Amino acid sequence: MSTHYRIHLHWSFDYNHGAQKPDFANELITLLQGYQTRTQDVEIGQIKHTYRILPNFWRGYSGRNRPGDSLSIGSAVIQRHKKSDKLWCYKVQYKNSTSGENALLQFQCNDECYRTLTGNWKATVTNSGQDIYANIELKGEIKNNEQISLCFNRTEITIGMENDALPLTCNWGLYDVIPAIAESLRTKGSTVDISLLDDLEQLRPKCQIGYLDSIQDPIPLDGYYLYGTGLLPSYWWVDESKNVVIVSTVFETMVLQEYSGSST
Amino acid sequence: MKTCPNIIFINTDQHSWDAISAYGNTYLQTPNIDKLHRNGTSFKNTYCTDPVCAAARSSWATGLYTSETGVPFNGGSLHPDIQDIGQILKQGGYRTFHCGKWHVPGRNVRESFETLYYGHNNIGAGGAAYYDSASTHAVMDFLTNYDDKKPFYLQIGYVDPHDVCEYLHNHEEKQIPNPVEQGILSEDDLPPLPDNFNYDDRETVLHRVCRRVDDALIHARILKAVKTWDELHWRYLRWNYYRFIEKVDAEIGTVLSLLQQTDFVDNTLIIFSADHGEACGSHQLFQKFALYEESVRVPFIVSCLGEGIDVKRDRFNNTHFVSGVDILPTVCDYANVDPPDTCQGDTLRPLVEDKEVTWRDYAYIESNYWGRAIVTDQYKYITEYKPKSIEDYLPPGPNDAQLGRAQLFHRNTEPSETENLADVPEYKDIVNACKIKLFAHENRLNRQQIVQPGAQKLISNWRRRLQGYWERGY
Repeated sequence: MSTHYRIHLHWSFDYNHGAQKPDFANELITLLQGYQTRTQDVEIGQIKHTYRILPNFWRGYSGRNRPGDSLSIGSAVIQRHKKSDKLWCYKVQYKNSTSGENALLQFQCNDECYRTLTGNWKATVTNSGQDIYANIELKGEIKNNEQISLCFNRTEITIGMENDALPLTCNWGLYDVIPAIAESLRTKGSTVDISLLDDLEQLRPKCQIGYLDSIQDPIPLDGYYLYGTGLLPSYWWVDESKNVVIVSTVFETMVLQEYSGSST
Repeated sequence: MKTCPNIIFINTDQHSWDAISAYGNTYLQTPNIDKLHRNGTSFKNTYCTDPVCAAARSSWATGLYTSETGVPFNGGSLHPDIQDIGQILKQGGYRTFHCGKWHVPGRNVRESFETLYYGHNNIGAGGAAYYDSASTHAVMDFLTNYDDKKPFYLQIGYVDPHDVCEYLHNHEEKQIPNPVEQGILSEDDLPPLPDNFNYDDRETVLHRVCRRVDDALIHARILKAVKTWDELHWRYLRWNYYRFIEKVDAEIGTVLSLLQQTDFVDNTLIIFSADHGEACGSHQLFQKFALYEESVRVPFIVSCLGEGIDVKRDRFNNTHFVSGVDILPTVCDYANVDPPDTCQGDTLRPLVEDKEVTWRDYAYIESNYWGRAIVTDQYKYITEYKPKSIEDYLPPGPNDAQLGRAQLFHRNTEPSETENLADVPEYKDIVNACKIKLFAHENRLNRQQIVQPGAQKLISNWRRRLQGYWERGY
């Protein structure tokens, strides 16, 4: 029998209302109370976080008439390992049953707190919908130290120019960036400006990260915000072990389901 | 013989006409829509046919007004005998493709178009966060693989900035601190309140029952929440709305950049528009459903990124009234295909090519089944039909005895629409002239009975509520 929790959720991830059945809070808290006890076998040197995607509304437009099943409409698995040459290699698997897209993102970052993008990257996306678009593969790189370039079916486009003044990272690298800079943001009240390459294909040229709040319930967490050009505010909640546990934005809330390895 | 051009119709959802940086809005950056403007003509007097998704889109698809299509609100069903743009162009030798949001109830998009992408479970009203980037992927795939000799028509339905609705739903059952209390933005970071935040409450009964009263017919729970907002909440709504637009602008940018790298660029016409606007705090309203400018006036750009099509560039057309019904005849003209005789719209091609042409001197808009507006160079006239004593589900038409309240705004001296002049004696003749224009226009419509049971039920429910207000002398 499932437990139903009656607990106050922070406004930034409180979506326990509207057309969300089963209960949003119940699903979120069940995940939060379980992620620390769940472990997975991974290769040595691997860090892995698995998140469930909970829709904030209308089951993420995935259809409401599926009684009894999970509210989750997908998952994200972030795996990374450090290479001997001080690079971090990331592999992100993202599945979304509303869009129908399943993505595999592969990229490399420098071994520093902002996880700046380096080298080439690749996004392989498949569509499970019934229409013509079935899959794509995008390859990207920074050319001439500034030109952010994407190549697709032998066609190359420039999606923007790197801003020398701001570190450029991928949104999926933020799962390590925010814990790394969290203490400084929280204790000094400072903010950090970065550029983001959203899903390795959309440049958000200027974004800001700062401290939001701290909470004790349902578990002790420190919250941080992120917003920028072309980017709605999102709220990132980090636990005492420096795991990003909740990421919530307008449309969805990602909740840590399990992890292995350490980010720091 | 010159080859017929490819045509791409890019549309955003809930995008007000002035939320574009090339038009002087300094609170957002839309470099890619700006690029369309620099390479084309922006028609700044463009109005949707009905400020709600399904209705406005039924006009795009058919060249008809919403009392003709069978979709007079976010429901109903497109009458089966009406041809849509996909079917018409296909018969004219085009290959027709659809990608993204469609939202024309009663018409299976997959039967009228080859669909590149339509979500995993068919795209409904919202969900830009998931659908828009997938739509871009599908278009990238298409543009780099299309090798048919036939010209193509591709319509790309982006959902954003419609996700501002999700932002509003966020507030339904919880208090969210304003961004200054959150500590994430300062007051200086936020756009100001709109000039017309305060409004004249002498509105039509339809409008007040739909959008103002506590148990409003449309999104009463959001209304209840925004009644607790302070000024910074409203300004934060505007700030967020602009981020949604920047987001979709970036998606459009990928499509345009890719198109420029293909052989199609010279011979591809691009039309950009939106189904309706967003009130975004004007008149203390949110979303659409109203007949004020922010909800009904939309961007409309005809553009070509190459050299093969005669398009006047970097130019504003401020004089001609354009409507959502003009999409279909414009596309047909460029495709060298005859539009249906019943089509209410006109082709914009002569205007794009800077040729003299006789043109309408007003825009006609419907809303929430009973609401009507006429926009002229100087005035906007808003009115409503009272519910019939016995509902026959025929959308109300030219009937003076059935008219309810009116609003009149002077567009030149008071463009923010905050002073209703309808009852001012000096403007009686203007109101009458607008009424004559309204009835003349409606006499040319082929209004058809709404037959879909769900839509009939909604009309009956709304009618009951409206009638109650009229009987109580509201």
